[in-house]
Amino acid sequence: MNRKKDKGFESPRPFKLTHQVVCINNINFQRKSVIGYVELTIFPTVVNLNRIKLNSKQCRIYRVRVNDLEAPFLYNDPTLEVCHHESKQRNLNYFSSAYTAAVSAVDPDAGHGELVIKVPSELWKQGDDLKVLKVYIEFSLDQPKGGLHFVVPDVEGSMAERGAHVFSFGYQNSTRFWFPCVDSYSELCTWKLEFTVDASMVAVSCGDLVETIYTHDMRKKTFHYVLPIPTAAPNISLAVGPFEILVDPYMHEVTHFCLPQLLPLLKHSMSYLHEIFEFYEEILTCRYPYSCFKTVFVDEAYVQVSSYASMSIFSTNLLHSAMIIDQTPQTRRCLAQALAQQFFGCFISRMSWADEWVLKGISGYIYGLYLKKTFGVNEYRHWIKEELDKIVEYELKMGGVLLHPTFSGGKEKDNPTPHLHFSIKHPHTLSWEYYKMFQCKAHLVMRLIENRISMEFMLQVFNKLLSLASTASSQKYQSHMWSQMLLSTHAFLKSISNVSGKDIGPLIKQWVDQSSVVKFFGSFAFNRKRNVLELEIRQDYTSSGTQKYVGPIKVTVQELDGSFNHMLQIEENSLKHDIPCHSKSRRNKKKKIPLMNGEEVDMDLSAMDADSPLLWIRIDPDMSILRKVEFEQADFMWQYQLRYERDVVAQEEAISALEKFPTPASRLALTDILEQEQCFYKVRMQACFCLAKIANAMVSTWQGPPAMKSLFTRMFCCKSCPNIVKTNNFINFQSYFLQKTMPVAMALLRDGQNICPKDVLNFILDLIKYNDNRKNKFSDNYYRADLIEALTNSLTPAMSINNEVRTVDNLNADVRLILEEITRFLNMEKLLPSFRNTITISCLRAIRQLQKNGHIPSDPSLFKSYAQYGHFVDLRIAALEALVDYTRVERSSAELQWLLSMAQNDPVHYVRHKILGMLCKNPPFTKTTDSALCNEALVDQLWKFMNSGTSHDWRLRCDAVNLYYMLFGLTRPSCLPLPELGLVLNLKEKKAVLNPTIKPELGVGAFNTMEDEDIDMETVHDSQAFIHHHLNLLERPSTPGTHTHTHTHTHTHTHTLPNPLHKHMAEHRRATSTGHLGHY
Amino acid sequence: MQLAAVAKIKSLNYTNISYRNIAGKATSSPAENYLLARRRTLQVVVSALLTESGFESAEKAAVETLTEMLQSYITEIGRCAKAYCEHTARSVPTLSDTVVTLIEMGFNVDTLPIYAKRSQRMVITAPPVTNAPVTPKALSAGQKRTHPAHIPSHFPEFPDPHTYIKTPTFREPVSDYQVVREKAATQRRDVERALTRFIAKTGETQSLFKDDITTFPLIAAQPSTIPYLSALLPSELELQALEETDSSEQDDQTDGENTAGNDDPGADKENSMLPPSGVVPSTKASEDNVIDNPYLRPVKKPKVRRKK
Repeated sequence: MNRKKDKGFESPRPFKLTHQVVCINNINFQRKSVIGYVELTIFPTVVNLNRIKLNSKQCRIYRVRVNDLEAPFLYNDPTLEVCHHESKQRNLNYFSSAYTAAVSAVDPDAGHGELVIKVPSELWKQGDDLKVLKVYIEFSLDQPKGGLHFVVPDVEGSMAERGAHVFSFGYQNSTRFWFPCVDSYSELCTWKLEFTVDASMVAVSCGDLVETIYTHDMRKKTFHYVLPIPTAAPNISLAVGPFEILVDPYMHEVTHFCLPQLLPLLKHSMSYLHEIFEFYEEILTCRYPYSCFKTVFVDEAYVQVSSYASMSIFSTNLLHSAMIIDQTPQTRRCLAQALAQQFFGCFISRMSWADEWVLKGISGYIYGLYLKKTFGVNEYRHWIKEELDKIVEYELKMGGVLLHPTFSGGKEKDNPTPHLHFSIKHPHTLSWEYYKMFQCKAHLVMRLIENRISMEFMLQVFNKLLSLASTASSQKYQSHMWSQMLLSTHAFLKSISNVSGKDIGPLIKQWVDQSSVVKFFGSFAFNRKRNVLELEIRQDYTSSGTQKYVGPIKVTVQELDGSFNHMLQIEENSLKHDIPCHSKSRRNKKKKIPLMNGEEVDMDLSAMDADSPLLWIRIDPDMSILRKVEFEQADFMWQYQLRYERDVVAQEEAISALEKFPTPASRLALTDILEQEQCFYKVRMQACFCLAKIANAMVSTWQGPPAMKSLFTRMFCCKSCPNIVKTNNFINFQSYFLQKTMPVAMALLRDGQNICPKDVLNFILDLIKYNDNRKNKFSDNYYRADLIEALTNSLTPAMSINNEVRTVDNLNADVRLILEEITRFLNMEKLLPSFRNTITISCLRAIRQLQKNGHIPSDPSLFKSYAQYGHFVDLRIAALEALVDYTRVERSSAELQWLLSMAQNDPVHYVRHKILGMLCKNPPFTKTTDSALCNEALVDQLWKFMNSGTSHDWRLRCDAVNLYYMLFGLTRPSCLPLPELGLVLNLKEKKAVLNPTIKPELGVGAFNTMEDEDIDMETVHDSQAFIHHHLNLLERPSTPGTHTHTHTHTHTHTHTLPNPLHKHMAEHRRATSTGHLGHY
Repeated sequence: MQLAAVAKIKSLNYTNISYRNIAGKATSSPAENYLLARRRTLQVVVSALLTESGFESAEKAAVETLTEMLQSYITEIGRCAKAYCEHTARSVPTLSDTVVTLIEMGFNVDTLPIYAKRSQRMVITAPPVTNAPVTPKALSAGQKRTHPAHIPSHFPEFPDPHTYIKTPTFREPVSDYQVVREKAATQRRDVERALTRFIAKTGETQSLFKDDITTFPLIAAQPSTIPYLSALLPSELELQALEETDSSEQDDQTDGENTAGNDDPGADKENSMLPPSGVVPSTKASEDNVIDNPYLRPVKKPKVRRKK
């Protein structure tokens, strides 16, 4: 994306869409089909517009008329089958380039589309007056696999009684799956939407409901919606079902919809939505842009939250009653996310895919502000740290995440992310994981910008963008004005510089135009003579996913006399920084020590080094660099930091550092934190786990009862009988979370024999036994689930005597007790199900753990039954997770097949996505390991799946690509039989070498970087892919056993080959020679 | 202390009984002698009847069985006749009671005289006279009360004092917290276990062990058609608990059914949700009716002119 002048947006199309009508006359739940038409009003921007390219997938198109004249049309969707011509090609490089080419070929952002309509010649002969064209398309959908999802429960009764419903879904721009349109975020138009549905149903869609009219037979109603605000097709959605309607009691223009019987939950869950509205409107000083807002809660949702113009579709599983604690913040977060995206994402749309980061960044950022306001600064900082850790971990593992990829028009080597096995040129080729990290990084970068220009300016920028857009949106048909509603990186940066007058160029260059994060190593020495702290900060910028940082960095030093901030400059070659200390090293006589926040505290200074005034040091305490810091300081410094530093991030860092110092002093510091009620509860929770680790490391010298036991007893047990826990009262959420966590952490304790101490196990069993929730206002389902998790954590591998069969009789006594609890819980759950089946989920995990540790026979059948369609989705995922694990441990090809067939056929898209995701996380084998599972049939099956089996769901296809990559790597899978030709004639060097495709991959990175200098995955067009493929045919080698047998392929190329092809040949030669070296 | 005393008494009783039993076996009591004699007569009767029917010999077991049958039959006649007699508020059965009984038992009474006068019948000697067993005297404990002045002396006398005097045993209610909790926990666990085992026994199960399906029976997982309902809605037990702890928070759930009006065009309007009571700010309560939400508006009827 080249940063053009702010002249506005240049459409890639030779026409401008101004208005679109979508009319769906008939929705048949029985047959899962939809019939309707669309009418697009377009202004040609060129004379002689003879072709109109639109997007449409899986729709059956009956007729197309342009201004009432029948128009011929062509329909071609290259993404249906990515690699045509059944070939033996099985390498992912090839697939990725072909897939990118296919997506590019129909990319609306490049003016392409699947549907090409020929404008009748009568119309384009009219010449230069550029008249309005009305394109009318009749279409139907039959059992759509993507775009629309039908949920039709198989029970008696009418569709409404059965709770049957249908809703639109998709990943990024996927509206083309359910009606023909220009499926681009940058093509805005006004909308008229009409849906005729059964009289017992409600159709919820974007815009204002103008009227509802019965059909003549009074059996159906038509919902008429009008959306006067220019909106892109991907932001249009629909949900139809027998919804219960709740008008928000605080805001009458907001309406909530849920499935039958869930109204009480809806009322409770939506009771705080108005607060979120108020918050956003206040900080953005801008009214919510649409005249109404609708929330719809549906079953089998594709994602938890999806935002569309003036409506959001949520998963019904977010609804909860007042009794549920843990779900409440999660649901609030989802609502806040959805609403933030209403402003940035729906109302303001992106100009191109390369600008996606701005919208995701802003919506994520204001969502963060909401978190800060609602859940507090501690929670906010904790969340930022969590997100930062996530992105750092991902980038260090998988390579950089690039927010603003630039694709210069040329076909040169411009793949900005050679380390990835997919192209980031299109949203539809991205791996889901990468996209999630992309969003995470985007909002973190927004926060960095805020750090630079202040929040006030930041909000002013947002306000400016919004007011520009709302002015533009009220203009009628002046379509050039509408481009103000599209946001580009350039416009955003310009707005920032206008408002703040600051240059954030370097920051953008570092984090937006460039991928990767920074990795610091810090250590220090105190120079007593000079009273100077000698700090050394080194960087690793050579490993994958890292970049070099040059610029300011903040270091905070807590000394005896107070806390001091120092801004250091990280430069090219300077590692050492001298920081003068303010205080003398002598012990102050009982003087209070001032902290950063002005508080003064008494400290016991006996632990510290008598010569040094340093209490602790923090590098980049405000997280104003996307970095990982590994800092070395003495254990007592970490302990001081944990006890006295008031920032939760510092406390969490100290806790993770203390894991390496299993000493009584660490133990004491952690226990003190655990007991401190003012301390943030998540820090205390983390301290539990750290304490367990320390206790295990100190097992030989540990004094007193098991860690945390006396603490728990003191906090949660009865005074008169310390072995009995108090009856539950979760009114104080902090102690509730602590009460939940402590047993889980305690169960990780191990004694000298490396098994869980008997009294810990008995303690947990007693907690379960005496658990009494009768007087509690809240449900204890999460607590009980955690107690089961604690039982699971206490498990250790069984003593196995030469693989004897596990039977009931030789069950360990402790395991028998555990198993009895699990059986009882699991059975009780059938009679009194818990919220979201949390208890069953914990039980399934426990059973899998028992199997894995060899206590009970390893058997997948139980999990299989819970994984069936018809169980609650969380439960299914937990069962599938166990099955994925079983498949890996037992190397069972039957289970792998079972999982893959479910991934192909399950009615719930989310489950299919999860199966592949879990298989990637916990693969049955990888490209570097040998496995009996890895065989030709599997390769073919997966290849077919990603090639043609997943054309209806971008996300699923990318998941399949990920899995293929995990299992086989980028090159030809090693398990495939060697191709016919073992030798390739290298014409240039006039010698025969082993076919490169045979070469087993030696670690992706090495191989890949070598060839990436020249390959250009982006520029391979379909035709080139075709030629490439034939080239490979030409090079198809024989088996190595018959080395002498050289086969000359009859196919010769008579085409004049375009330039890139030569490059491919060169690449192959190069790969050949490297492969050659590697092999011999 | 009390408990110990009770236990002692019990054990004393026990020894008493066993002592008596042992004594009975050693020298048969008069009551037993009496019964034995009757039984022997019955045996003779059976043997006579057998001889009469032409049997020359019979196995002892067969004779025993027949005796048993005869005895049962006679006993039943007696029992039944007594019942009839008591039904008519008498204490001694009359002939008619017996006749009714016989008829009731399906016996043709008319044939009885002929049978009695048959020629080949044998005469059986009456059973040896033995003393009818005397009912053992009840052990009297304590002093019987004499009638108070207002009760005539011919009324039955008071029974033994121990049959009506109540000695209240005062058991301290268990208030020890630990015991209460312990008890509640155990009870709940037992109930749960029993209940789940019962369900598991009566329905389909799954097992973690192939060889043993009874030790840890798991109720089989049954997919449901609308799984989210049970997973999201609080169970009735929880609702009940909530009501107990805080009854004010529950909103009424009666307005749950709406959008049902398939045939009645007006139904939609009536059914459409009113804002939930209790949540609405009080100022708005009065203007409920003016909420203008497009989803609450009535559905329009099709325009006539559009009709074809």
